Amino acid sequence: MKPFNKIGALLGAVAITLPLTLASCGKSEEKADPADLGTLTIMLPLIGGSGTAPAPDGEIHKAVEAFTGKKLEITWIPNANYGDRMNVTLASDNLPEVMVSQGKLPAFVQSAEAGAFWDLTNKLDSYPNLKAANKQIERNSSINGKVYGVFRGRDPMRAAVIVREDWLTKLGLKMPETVDDLYNVAKAFTENDPDGNGKKDTYGLIIPKWPAGYGSASPYDVVETWFGAPNGWGERNGKLVPGFDTEEFLAANRYMKKMITEGLVNPDYATFDSGKWEQPFFQGKGGIIVDVSSRGPSLLKLFKEKDAANYDSYVDLTGNLKGPDGKLRAFPTTGYNGFLAISKQSVPTEAELDDVLNVLNKLSSKEGQILLNNGIEGRNFTVQDGFAIGKPQDDPAVKTMTSDVSYFGQLGTATAGYQAYVGLPPGKAERAMYEKRLKFHKADEASAVHNPAQMIISKTQVAKGAQLDLIVSDARIKYFAGQIDEAGLKAEIKRWYDQGGQDIVNEMNEQYAKIKK
Amino acid sequence: MMTQVVRYRWLFVLLLPGLAYFAIFKYAPMYGVTIAFQDYLPFLGFTGSPWVGLKHFENLFSSPDFPRVLGNTLILAGLNAVFVFPAPIVVALLLNEVRLNVLKRAVQSAIYIPHFLSWTIVAALTYLLFALDVGPITQAMNSLFGERFDFLADPDWFRPLVVLQTLWKSTGWGTIIYLAALAGVDPNLYEAARIDGAGRWQQMWHVTLPAIRSTIVIMTILLAGNLLDTGFEQIYLLTNSLNRSVAEVFDTYVYFLGITQGAYSYSTAVGLFKAVVGIVLIYGVNWVARRFGQTGLF
Repeated sequence: MKPFNKIGALLGAVAITLPLTLASCGKSEEKADPADLGTLTIMLPLIGGSGTAPAPDGEIHKAVEAFTGKKLEITWIPNANYGDRMNVTLASDNLPEVMVSQGKLPAFVQSAEAGAFWDLTNKLDSYPNLKAANKQIERNSSINGKVYGVFRGRDPMRAAVIVREDWLTKLGLKMPETVDDLYNVAKAFTENDPDGNGKKDTYGLIIPKWPAGYGSASPYDVVETWFGAPNGWGERNGKLVPGFDTEEFLAANRYMKKMITEGLVNPDYATFDSGKWEQPFFQGKGGIIVDVSSRGPSLLKLFKEKDAANYDSYVDLTGNLKGPDGKLRAFPTTGYNGFLAISKQSVPTEAELDDVLNVLNKLSSKEGQILLNNGIEGRNFTVQDGFAIGKPQDDPAVKTMTSDVSYFGQLGTATAGYQAYVGLPPGKAERAMYEKRLKFHKADEASAVHNPAQMIISKTQVAKGAQLDLIVSDARIKYFAGQIDEAGLKAEIKRWYDQGGQDIVNEMNEQYAKIKK
Repeated sequence: MMTQVVRYRWLFVLLLPGLAYFAIFKYAPMYGVTIAFQDYLPFLGFTGSPWVGLKHFENLFSSPDFPRVLGNTLILAGLNAVFVFPAPIVVALLLNEVRLNVLKRAVQSAIYIPHFLSWTIVAALTYLLFALDVGPITQAMNSLFGERFDFLADPDWFRPLVVLQTLWKSTGWGTIIYLAALAGVDPNLYEAARIDGAGRWQQMWHVTLPAIRSTIVIMTILLAGNLLDTGFEQIYLLTNSLNRSVAEVFDTYVYFLGITQGAYSYSTAVGLFKAVVGIVLIYGVNWVARRFGQTGLF
């Protein structure tokens, strides 16, 4: 090769790569036609299932496109990275038209308040399927009363206590109804050899390492609510106070500490991987889980694989427990799981916004919900007394559809209520458990302790809240482990106030006064 | 000067892609550090966000987190410098003394392997081996000392675990460069030393070590630049509520503030501070090395 050729090739390479790199540094690429929303770009979390994102030429994807009359460009983000990815996306200047925000992440709140997303307050009522069936939930999902997204409705009650039924039977105990019962059952499970192997190798409660801070529906938060502490925030003497600055919080944690010190809880509660939560229960090491009630069927399934004949004798569950004073205070969910926010930058005009909302409205109709949550009737499922039954998955096309449909539910809002079919419980025990869950969810709803500050966002909370809330949740664990005593726990709560918590309390009360008026 | 440029013009052309690489991928992104001096909001962009001067730096230095995070980072950096840095030198010297070539190769390959495992796997292994009550190492230690060790949650064990992990993962790989330097030592020097009656130890002290001294100095200077990089994944994966007070270092702090809390400007300021310390350290160590008559990096 002559020298000239070498240099020509080199320059050619530079010439090719340079514009590419420059283009990717530059501002967002122009859309073909911004006014035409023939294609809708959407960002959704990929949760559960086989882990393979639905392909854009999949049957369900095509059906949803046909149903809405739009071409869909969906970016599926693995759920574990969703929060990080969301922050990164907000920091870019290429937002999808519709994105799921899984709650009020600080970056989302900042962007929304700066005007990055459409304010949908009072707009949603003109779309029958986006009109909130429960206005309280819509308010919960708002930011200081402003609705920045269509919330995705969920069960308002989920908390449950799940217990090894065979252990209860063996020791002649009943399902716990109060926190004292829970203590006694845990004690018996630890000391009275419930698995009958003659060794003291079991414990009561199974608690994993909780990834988030205070007020994140950890078992500790649930127990505190049972004891009468506010759920996150509460009103005391007309003022909002953080839940951990109450006598009930301390009482609940004294109770937990007692259980932990007496060995009624797994000793590695500070480090135990929450992904393996079901293992000790299934293997017969621990006997009680305080979590969401859907953990029950999941455990039932494990036992069914092991012992199909008697699988119904292992798992029993009940709802919230009564506090030490005999009163029931139930730990509710926020009633929603994030919301679908619409970018102002990508959807610049009211007319286009209307277009997007119409699509979401359509997807939340009964027909749309069935398509997103169940699939196509007769193709991948059939209906039997109001329940959906999946078709056998030997057909690869049906298998793909079943996997895809497990993800597409993320796009539905069920704002006006869930109308799709529930999967038919595969056996009698599953059906009985399903009905039991519905029953205690309903019963607990009346005693739900709501967080009155759910909709209030304080500036300091946004800037420092996550960091500050870790002070409290870390202090709680340190208190259990004996690194600090109760005075130390109180000192840490004081540290919360000193490092910015006081500002949060002031700002919250200011907003609260405005909203109450 | 000009004539030289013309004469070697093709060499300069060859230089261009390298320059372009640095300009585009290393220098251009540095524009982003401007957000450390702004109240940056993604929606408003680099140009639209208000300028706030040194506010974020003032916040950082007055923050109650700062002494703790800095302390933890420096302690881990110190432990790295004391235990992790010399380990490859010692191992390389030991390998150098191995007479059986097959054995030497086998050991080398075996100790390289951990380098290729990701931190996630190392963390998973650590959790398995050191799990409370059930991990094999925990059980061995428990029966050996008659105590109940809680390696994963006890803050006192956090730093030893980190150092152990780093040693296990990086020592083998680190030996490569020293073994290369050792291979370059003139065998005549050893022969001469032996004729003069030097034993094994004396050969090592008077021949081997001086021969690789400049390599060690260069590695020290490079280490200084990365001293505050305690590594994000490794620390993050080992952190929990009970050991956070000793585990929080700059890398995890920046992640926590910037990515999970969306405090872009503040976390950039923290990152920038860390980078400045790194530069100061590089220059400092380089200066010291030159003072002692060694060849510095520049």
